[in-house]
Parts: sequence; structure tokens; C-alpha cells
Amino acid sequence: MYLILSSILFPILAGLFLLVRHRTPLSGETPTDRKSLIALTGCSLIITAIFVIAALFAENGFTLFYLTPSLPIYFRVDSVGRIFSLLAVIVIPCAGFFSFAYMKHEEHESRYYGFYLLVFGVLNALCFAGNLITFYLFFELLTLSSMPLVLHNGSKEAVMAGLKYLFYSLCGAYAALFGIYFLYRNCDSLTFTMDGALRASAIAEHGGFLLVVAFVMLLGFGVKAGMFPMHAWLPTAHPVAPAPASAVLSAVIVKAGVLATIRVLGMFGTDFLKGTWVQTAWLCLTLITVFMGSLLAYREPVLKKRLAYSTVSQLSYILFGLAVMNETSFTGALLHVLAHGFIKAALFLCAGAIIYKTGKTRVEEMRGIGKEMPVTMWCFTVASLGLIGIPPTGGFLSKWFLALGSLKSGIPVFGVLGPVILLVSALLTAGYLLPLTIHGFFPGADYDYNRLQKKEPCKLMRVPILMLTALSVLAGIFPFAIFLAYFAVTGR
Amino acid sequence: MNFICNFPFFSILLSLFSGTICSVLPAKAAKVVNRVVIIAVGLMSAVLLLYLLATGESFIYWMGHFPAPWGNEIRAGVLEAGMALFFCIIMYLSMAGGAHKLPGEVVESKHNLYYILVNLLLSSLLALVYTNDMFTAYVFVEINTISACGLIMIRQVGRTIEAAVRYMIMSLLGSGLLLFGLCIMYDLTGHLLMSNIKESVGLIMASGEYQIPLIVSVALMCIGLCIKSALFPFHAWLPDAYGYSTVSSAAILSSLVSKGYIFLLIKIIYRVIGFDIFNSTRIIDVLFVFGLMGMIFGSLSAIRENDIRRMIAFSSVAQIGYIYMGFGMGTQAGMVASIFHILSHAATKSLLFIAAIGLTDVSGGSRKFIDLTGAAYRNKWAGAAFTVGSLSMVGIPLFSGFISKLLFAQAAVQVEGKMLASLIVLGISTVLNAVYFMKTVIRIYAYAPDAPYKGITFRDMKAYAVVLVCFILLNVILGVSSQPVVDMIGQGLAMFA
Amino acid sequence: MGPNLFTNYGEAVSAILFCIGFTNLLLQTNLIKKIIGLNIMDSAIYLFLAEKGYIAGRVAPIVVNGVTSTEAYINPIPSGLVLTGIVVSVSVTALMLSLTIRLYTRYHTLDLDEISTQLKKEGK
Repeated sequence: MYLILSSILFPILAGLFLLVRHRTPLSGETPTDRKSLIALTGCSLIITAIFVIAALFAENGFTLFYLTPSLPIYFRVDSVGRIFSLLAVIVIPCAGFFSFAYMKHEEHESRYYGFYLLVFGVLNALCFAGNLITFYLFFELLTLSSMPLVLHNGSKEAVMAGLKYLFYSLCGAYAALFGIYFLYRNCDSLTFTMDGALRASAIAEHGGFLLVVAFVMLLGFGVKAGMFPMHAWLPTAHPVAPAPASAVLSAVIVKAGVLATIRVLGMFGTDFLKGTWVQTAWLCLTLITVFMGSLLAYREPVLKKRLAYSTVSQLSYILFGLAVMNETSFTGALLHVLAHGFIKAALFLCAGAIIYKTGKTRVEEMRGIGKEMPVTMWCFTVASLGLIGIPPTGGFLSKWFLALGSLKSGIPVFGVLGPVILLVSALLTAGYLLPLTIHGFFPGADYDYNRLQKKEPCKLMRVPILMLTALSVLAGIFPFAIFLAYFAVTGR
Repeated sequence: MNFICNFPFFSILLSLFSGTICSVLPAKAAKVVNRVVIIAVGLMSAVLLLYLLATGESFIYWMGHFPAPWGNEIRAGVLEAGMALFFCIIMYLSMAGGAHKLPGEVVESKHNLYYILVNLLLSSLLALVYTNDMFTAYVFVEINTISACGLIMIRQVGRTIEAAVRYMIMSLLGSGLLLFGLCIMYDLTGHLLMSNIKESVGLIMASGEYQIPLIVSVALMCIGLCIKSALFPFHAWLPDAYGYSTVSSAAILSSLVSKGYIFLLIKIIYRVIGFDIFNSTRIIDVLFVFGLMGMIFGSLSAIRENDIRRMIAFSSVAQIGYIYMGFGMGTQAGMVASIFHILSHAATKSLLFIAAIGLTDVSGGSRKFIDLTGAAYRNKWAGAAFTVGSLSMVGIPLFSGFISKLLFAQAAVQVEGKMLASLIVLGISTVLNAVYFMKTVIRIYAYAPDAPYKGITFRDMKAYAVVLVCFILLNVILGVSSQPVVDMIGQGLAMFA
Repeated sequence: MGPNLFTNYGEAVSAILFCIGFTNLLLQTNLIKKIIGLNIMDSAIYLFLAEKGYIAGRVAPIVVNGVTSTEAYINPIPSGLVLTGIVVSVSVTALMLSLTIRLYTRYHTLDLDEISTQLKKEGK
């Protein structure tokens, strides 16, 4: 109990402390201030990570307090939560250490780190939430605490993006809340389960209406995961944040939407939803998103935006796996959560390193970048290969399971159409990521090698990138994650 | 009869007479008298509440020991005592929070007048809460109007006088309708005491005669009170009245005065007409529709607003809409949600007004958003308080606003015909609320390095900061442990029957 | 309907007067006319009450000739209500008039709409 609680409260308190520590946050930080700030944040990140890892082994859930007698704030660690928490506990500290170097040229560092820690705590709470109402609470808080990361630089564009993010998320969360009211009426408890909590009598009485509710909830939580038609905020909001924050947003925070979807799926039960129009409509939406995301990414000239579009597409791979609703595809989806998390974080950090060192944001400016920053670009290449799904990276395994599950499912049309679209999208992924590598390392005959400068970033930036890249490969070679995912499905 | 049973009467009389005394006292003494009276009334209400919770039943107090149906009566139940206590808390905090602004807003020689008006307002609110007699209710409605009008115009600016005139006109229209409805009701039933009227109404409904005059009378009273509590199409006076009066006045007006009328309406619904009879009329549908419209149009006007205090005032229109939506559902659950929202809105809205003044103070006194940029850094306490209030308004869990939205939604789910409409409008209104409140929060936390205004530290505003903290605590308490309050509301409503 | 209206002509008249007063208070832009409307409205209600309280052939309940039978007197409460009401409406009227004077000395007009436009021009 105390481990779970401290993994949630410690970062939140630390974050709040950082936010109120400065008497006058309007004045710029001095170098000594900066050092202590970094030391504080670093320590907090590491301590939190230790807490979380220890909490992963916790067995018993506990109720913190009752919002109303039938609505407890309840925490518990379960296998699905473990996977998401594992992702968060690796990516957030990595990106955090990266930002110690990256944020040097940004203002308001204490605000940034404060909210960064808040996000960490809220994410932990989200992973460990044991019922829908607790989940909803932290889902809202996640939106609020991550919004300052989006509008960090305070430009008009960033503020508008932050507001857009806020409103899309609130709309989605409200749609989900709408569903929670009905679940509350038709379930015995809102505690998470994987095999449906609806009363049999409720299904018999108004099953048709409950399907609508399920669809609304999936759409609502889908907003956070960037599912078509409510995806527009993602390509706007993610790129304007500082690069490490975009890494966290794209790799971890959007996964909250995926986690939410899994929870909703569990509450309604796959037996209830399988073969209904909800499944068909959902499959349809995810496939549209997969294809459209890739296509938009392919046409996008700004690197970070391109990566954001890629997130839209890749998240719907995961949602597609969930929508197929069998064990193989579910395993694939959970694997892709991890794989995509590591890969996308690595890619965004690489993009951040490029921006930090060269100030280049557009893809066509990055000719010869591989010669200037070989390590970064090698990592970028390896991560790209992972995202495309080339063995032996993690992306290959997850996509393999996704396609296999889809083919095995026997769903008419979509069972076959799904893998085809996944393949086409993988090709597009190659199309939008590999040109960077190709032009980066082979800038062409007219490239002026005399002007070449080594611009490799400092260790604080390189190490997190290397770690995340290595993890994305390891996830494929040593698929320990498969077992985790397997346990998640079977519930052992 | 227990000594405690005198407390409702004492508290009305105490605040009424202290108002008179204040007129001859110097300003400082008047201030002390005012504070002491509010605290004393609050304590009495608290004791009364405990007593009522212990005995578990309401009592009726005969004024001058004339038995019904001749005498005038006071009635106290859990809901009345709780409301009185809550009104005192909010009033005390609002007065304390705006005290440091008073010298700048009101001429020195008129300070004691200000306290007279506040005491008068308190007494009329208490009378509205406790009375069991319709005509007494009418008289105190008028006293309430007059003192509220005084509170608006005591800050002598062109806008406030105009707002006071507009407020008076709308209020008089409302009280005219109320009085006319009341007279018809008296004509039909021959009684003025609520309990007696209810008996006769039951007989009339059973006999099947005089149905139309009865409905007309009920409708007139409802419309009258709707106008007075600024339900959507009748809200034209509200933004100016709340936007330009003194801070304390704005906080009190928005959170208490309109709520007094709404509470009277609840009493009329339960104690005069009877909940079931009221729900069988079409009036609730009308209330429901206007409530929904208020929720949307109030928020839309707030979004367009460029002045922070007027924005908060427009948001009140939306929140009043919520309350009437709860009435319109016609169920016990809807009513409980509405009453909880009365409390939650009162706690939040007064917090917002008080916090807003802290922000405008450190922005050169301007209420325009452009000048407020970065104000939360210059006055951190007000900034934090404003953020809490906004989050509560938007309905983020852990704050009171979420609980009332939850209650509304739970109530809506039980009403077949109105479920979708209310849930959808709740959703739209939540998002609209988020638009303007979060916009403001971002604005006050935006970075404004070259703003020419000086910040303020804790040392310069201890009392103010303490008030803000109290308000925040009130909000969080209502949000986290709402159950006792909800239980109490249910208990109080059960006593009404 | 028709015969009822005719027998209760007092009530009918008071309802009509109430409507006249109400519309005047609501729609007139001139403040003085508004106040007159207010008074018409209130008086209409008192007329209604008085009309309801009066029973033909009976007198006010003051015992003069030793007649104590309730049959001889009317109900005094409506009259009491009228008195209370008059007090309330007088005080409200006084307040409205004083506000009107304030506005007039400030803006030199009694037209509420014009005052609003002037206020907008002031921009405060």
C-alpha cells in the first residue's frame, strides 16, 4: 500500500515543491539555481522510479477514501497496469535526464520540471488505478498537468495548441464520463475486470443501448489515443512542446488512452462486444486512422510533426489489435505499447538533439546530418527500422502478432483487410522515416564535406537515446515482454 | 419547548436589530458588530443544526403563541438550519475577503450604511429560509431586494446605479408576479401558512375543481422567483450588478441573494404545493428548458466577455441554469443535486470573485484580460485560489463542482425523457466552462516579463490569504467528503414533507 | 366563462390593470413611467385582495353595536395584507425615485436606454 501511495504522492509533492519553491519565478534562473534544480529533479525521478519498480510487485489493492459510499478511490496493481507502468518508469526518467541538457536554452525550467514530475505521479496513479472512477479522476488530472508542458514556451501558437489539446481531451473525457454514469447503473461495481462487469439482466434488458454507450466511451477515450475522427489535436500539440516533453507525450501520455480503452473493453467484456456493430465501426475507425496517419506523416515536411502523425498511425495499430478482440492480437497490442513507446521516445529525443545542436526542424534541411551527428542518426535509423517492423526489433514481433491475430479472428472483410492495411502503412512508414537516414548519411555528390562539423550532443543527451534505442531492439530479441503480455491476457 | 427552538427567531431578530444599531455607530464599530452578528448567527444555526440532527425531526415555532391558522410561524428543519449556517459562513468569508477593498470603493462616511445593508440582507435571507408564512416570505423578499439594491449602488459609479435600477426593475416585476400568485393562492385556499395551504391544495386537487387558477397561481410564483434569481432570459441586469459593485457585494449577491429566492422556491414546491402535485404540472418542463438554455447561453456570453468580473458574473447565469435543470427533472435526486449545487456554486463563485479582485489589484486595477497576463505570479494566493475555483467550475474531480455534476448526471440517468438532453447539455456546458475558465487560468499564468505592475507578498495580505485558504478548503471538503452533506440534504427534504 | 367574468368584474379589472402595470414596468424606457407602471401593478394586486376580502352586506370587524356573530363581519386579513403591501410598495417606490434622481443628475436624461449608451461611451 505504502509503495503504491508513495510512487504516486512523492513525485506529485516533489513537483508541487518545485513549482512553489522559487519566490519569484519571473526572474531567470541563475546557474547555481539551475544546478540545484537539476539535482532535485534528478533525485526525485530516480527515487520515484525505485518506488514504482518496487510497487510493481505489490499484491494487494487498497481504498484510499470514498468519494461517495459507492465510489471508492481504489488502487491496485494488475498485469495490464504493470506493462504501462513499466513503459512510464523507463521513458520518463530517460527523457527527464535528456531534458537536463535540452532545457538549457529554454526559460522557466522549474515550471517545466515541476509539471514533469506531476505528470509522472499522475501517470503512476493512472496505471495503478483500480476502478473506473479513480481512473477518470487521474485521467482528467493527466490532461491538466500535461497541458503546461505543451504550452511551455508561451508563444501564441503553443498556447493555442495547449487549449486545443485541453478541449479535445475534456470533450473525450466527458464522453467517457457519460458512459461511466451508465456503467455505474448497470454494473455491480466499477472495479476493473477483464471479463465484463455488466449485469446479465442489464444486457438482456437494454443491450442495444449499452452498445451505444460502449461506443461513446471508446470514442471518448480514443480522443486521447488520437483516434480518427478526434485526432486533430495530436499533430498540433505534440510538436510545439519541448522535444523531451513531446517524447513523453507521444510515447507515454497518449498510451493513457490505450489503457483506458483496455479498461473499458474489460468492463464491457469482449463477449458482449464481439461481432457487434461496435466492433465493426471501431475496426473501421482504427484502420482509417492507421492509413491516414501514415499518409499525412509522409506528406509532412517538419520532422517533429511527421513523428506526431506517425504516433497517430501507430497508436491505432494498438487500438486495432484491441478491436480484433482475441488473445493473439491483444498480446500484439500490448507488445506494441512497449515497442512503440521506446521507439517513439527515442525518435523524438533524436529530433530534439538535432534541433538543439543544429536548430534544423525541416526534413529537407537535414541533408548530411548523419555525417554531423553519427551516433544520433544511427539510433534514429535503428529506431526507424523498429517502427517499420523489420526483425529483430520489437516492432516486428508486435506487428506479427497483430497480423496473426487479425487473420485468426475470422472477422469478415476486416480480418484480411486489416493486415493488408498494416503492411501498406508499414511501407509508408519506411517512406517517411528512411529518407532522413538516406539523405543523412548519403548527402549526395554536391555536399560540401569541408563545412562538415562534428555536432554530436553531450553525454546527457546521448545516453538516454542509446538506452531507449537498445531497449527497442532488445524488446524484439529477448521478448521478455511477451511473457508479461501473456500473463496480462491470461490473468495469471 | 426547548430553548434552542428560539434560535431561528433570535437570529432573524438579532441581525435585524443590529442593522438598526449600526446606523448610529462609527464605521469601525459597525464593522465589528457586523462580524459578531454573523458569527453569532452562524453559531446559533450550527447548534440548531446539531439539535435537529439529534432529535431527527423539525419543529414549528409560533410567533407570539398564536396557534395556526391565525398566527405567524417559523419552521426549522435540518435543511433550513444547514442553509442558514452555510449562508453565514459564505457571508463572513465574503465580507472578510473584501474588507481591504472597502475604503477604496465606498465613501468613508457610508461605511456603516454598508454594514446596515449587509445585516439587513442577512436577516431577510434568514427569514426567507425559516419562515412558514407566505406573506412574511413576500415581505422579506422585498426587504432582500431593497438591501441587495443598496449593496449594488453603495459604490457610487454610473454603472452601478444603472445596474441597481435595472436590478430593481427586474426584481419588482418578479415580486409583483409572486405577490399576485400569492393572492390567488390565498383566494383559493384561504390560508397563508404553508402547511395549511398544502392541505387545502391537496383537497382542491382531489376535488378536480379550480385546477386552472391553482396552476396559474403556482406558475406566477415560479416565474416571479425565476426572474428574481436571474434564470436565463431574465439575467440582463446581472453582469453589471455583479461586475461593478464592491467585491464583497458581488460575492454575496452572486452566491447568496439569488440562492435565497431559489430556496424559497424549493420551500414553495415542497411545503406549499407538494412535490408530486408540482411535478404533475407542465411547469417543470418549462423550468427544465430554460435551465438548459441558461447553461449554454450563459457560458457563451461568458466566452465573449473581455472583463474578468463580468465573465464570472455570466458564469453565474449558467450555474443558475444547472439548478433549475435539477428542478426540472422532477425527481428527488434532481432536487438533491440542485440543492448541493446551491452550496457548491455559492462556495465556488464567491471564491472566484474574491480571488479575481486580488488579481485585478496587482494589474493596475484593470479587469481586462490583456492586463491580467501573469497576474498569478504577482499575487500567488489569488492565482492559486482562482485556479481552484476554475477547476471546480469545470468539474474536475476532488472539487465540489465535480460532485454536483455527478449528482446531476446520476439524477438525469433516472429520468427517461430528459436524460439525453440533460447529459448532452451538461457535456456542452462543461466544455464551454472549460473554454473560458481555462483560458483565464492560462492567461494569468502566462509569462509577462515587462508588465509594469508590482507583485504582492503574503505579508501584505494575511487576512485576505487566510480567507482564500478557507474558501479553498470549503471547496475541497465539499468535493472530497460530500456524502454527509448529501445525506443531510436528503434528511432535510424528508422533513419538508 | 362570460358570466363568471362579469360577476367577478373586480378581479377581471384588477388582472387587466396588473397586465397594464407589468408591461409598463417592463417595456417603458422612461424611468418615471416605469415607476408609474410599478404603482399600477401593485395597486391592481391590492384591488384584487380588497375585492376578494369584501363580502356584500357585511362590515369591517369592529364590534360597535354588540353584534358578535361572525356572520356580520368580513375577514380582516386581506385588508391587513393590503396595508402591509402598501407600505412595501411605498418604500420601493421611494427607493426607485431616489435612484432615478441620482441617474438624472448624472446623465440628464430619464431614458434608460440612453443612459446605457452614455455608459458604453464612457467605457467604464
